[in-house]
Amino acid sequence: MSLVTRIFTQRAHSSQLSRLFCLLGVVSIAFLSNLSLAAERLTLTGSSTVAPLALEMAKRFEKNNPDVRIDVQTGGSSRGVNDARVGLADIGMVSRALKESEQDLTAHLIALDGIGIIVHSSNTVKELSRQQIIDIYQGKIRNWADVDGPNLEITVVNKAEGRSTLELFLHFFELKNSQIRPQVVIGDNQQGIKTVSGNPGAIGYVSIGTAEFEHNRGTPIKLLPMDGKEATVKGVASGEYPLSRPLNLVTKAQPEGFAASFIEFAQSTDVLDLIENQFFVAP
Amino acid sequence: MIDRAFSLGIYAIIALVIATFGWIIGDVIIKGISVVSWEFLISEPEDAGRAGGIAPILVSTLYVLIIALVIALPLGISAAIWLAEFSQNQSHTLHVGIILDVLAGVPSIVYGLFGNAFFCIYLGLGYSLLSGGLTLACMILPVFIRTCESGIRSVQSDWRLGGLALGMRRSVVIWKILLPAAQPAIIAGLILSIGRATAETAALLFTSGYVDRMPESIFDSARVLAVHIYDLTMNVTGGDETAYGSALILIVLIILLNTLAQGFIDSWFKRSGHYR
Repeated sequence: MSLVTRIFTQRAHSSQLSRLFCLLGVVSIAFLSNLSLAAERLTLTGSSTVAPLALEMAKRFEKNNPDVRIDVQTGGSSRGVNDARVGLADIGMVSRALKESEQDLTAHLIALDGIGIIVHSSNTVKELSRQQIIDIYQGKIRNWADVDGPNLEITVVNKAEGRSTLELFLHFFELKNSQIRPQVVIGDNQQGIKTVSGNPGAIGYVSIGTAEFEHNRGTPIKLLPMDGKEATVKGVASGEYPLSRPLNLVTKAQPEGFAASFIEFAQSTDVLDLIENQFFVAP
Repeated sequence: MIDRAFSLGIYAIIALVIATFGWIIGDVIIKGISVVSWEFLISEPEDAGRAGGIAPILVSTLYVLIIALVIALPLGISAAIWLAEFSQNQSHTLHVGIILDVLAGVPSIVYGLFGNAFFCIYLGLGYSLLSGGLTLACMILPVFIRTCESGIRSVQSDWRLGGLALGMRRSVVIWKILLPAAQPAIIAGLILSIGRATAETAALLFTSGYVDRMPESIFDSARVLAVHIYDLTMNVTGGDETAYGSALILIVLIILLNTLAQGFIDSWFKRSGHYR
């Protein structure tokens, strides 16, 4: 290689490098200079059940108040409580009533949700008593034949730790999670429905509104009544159905500013259609 | 006879693999195509994602991916060059290699937790596209470095020696001979990285977040496609249709990005007059 070409290729090489670094520099400056300073920000974290509803409420609120940005993040009710308490979030989303140990927080009720026991639609079982459900979840009853059902092994579907559906279920049946012998552990509602609809021997528990919607569109699941009361959204609204839970927004102190006006908005009649669209019941 | 049975078996396995792949793609296309339209691509999600489109989610996905690649590519290639060419100490190379292999096998949720603890909380970046991109960069680096390194290593020593014998500087040998020769490996690494990054859910749910608004800067929290699909299938009642639509877009996007990446690297090497 002659001297000329060597110099030429080396120059080409360095210009290539510098071009690359220029590009990187420009990209990063373009990114950094984009710092958003304009809007006031509200952060909501917590229950994945509440999150889609809160997101829709937030969108409508942003439309009315263009200089606010509301960030909704999920992660479960326990996280909502924790983040609201330590200040990581302005408002926590909690899909159950606050416990004794959480009385330092203030709950703001925005909707109600019922929890229904679901089985596969091919299952001939019509009703289960509280004791039967307890025995099934503790692994004492392992076959549907023992509760007047088909001769089929029972697959117990339980919710993951930290989910408020689990806590409510345990509280209602006076169980401890360590007593439950599940075959499947799931996270979100829709996952529960998919697990049960794909397994004729499965039993699980999910939000009633979700289950009702899926049942009506032909997903092979059915809701079992509880204490003789039909598991329907109507039953939750009238208060007849026993296994229901409040969906709350929680704050550490009395909310101020936009947090206060957002909570007020979330409890107003302006969002009734949103609550209905997410298959919940307005309080 | 045995030979025939053997080759028959091989063909059967290939048919099975292709059928599985075709089934997955076919399922997504059949169930997703009715949702996908131009309108779907350019409008915002409504009703928790059941209606409307995915415009902000597409934009966020690209943002996160660009951030991850801008950080991971230069770091990855440099690290690979160091491992393959510069590190004198064999045991160092070995140890770094083992660490990289372990990191490559770590489940993505662990990267998500690390990203959440380090970028979001410790560095105070919060839920943001930047946190997500940085987390993804950490996640794709090990695989990318390893692929590039093995590509550079597999170049015959004659080429290095020939370059040096001609009086080329070491940097020129690397830039002009080794990297172009390792180009297929670099492209493979890039494609693996893009695929892994674009399809990532677990690591991004806790770093870039859940907000489905159009991002205004990289410090905004935003939802990427994979998180959107996950939420629609697992959390939002009646979100399956749009989930399939989004999945179809995700597949098309990955194919498109891979083609682009390949073209980009090709032209990059061509423009600077490399010999192949």
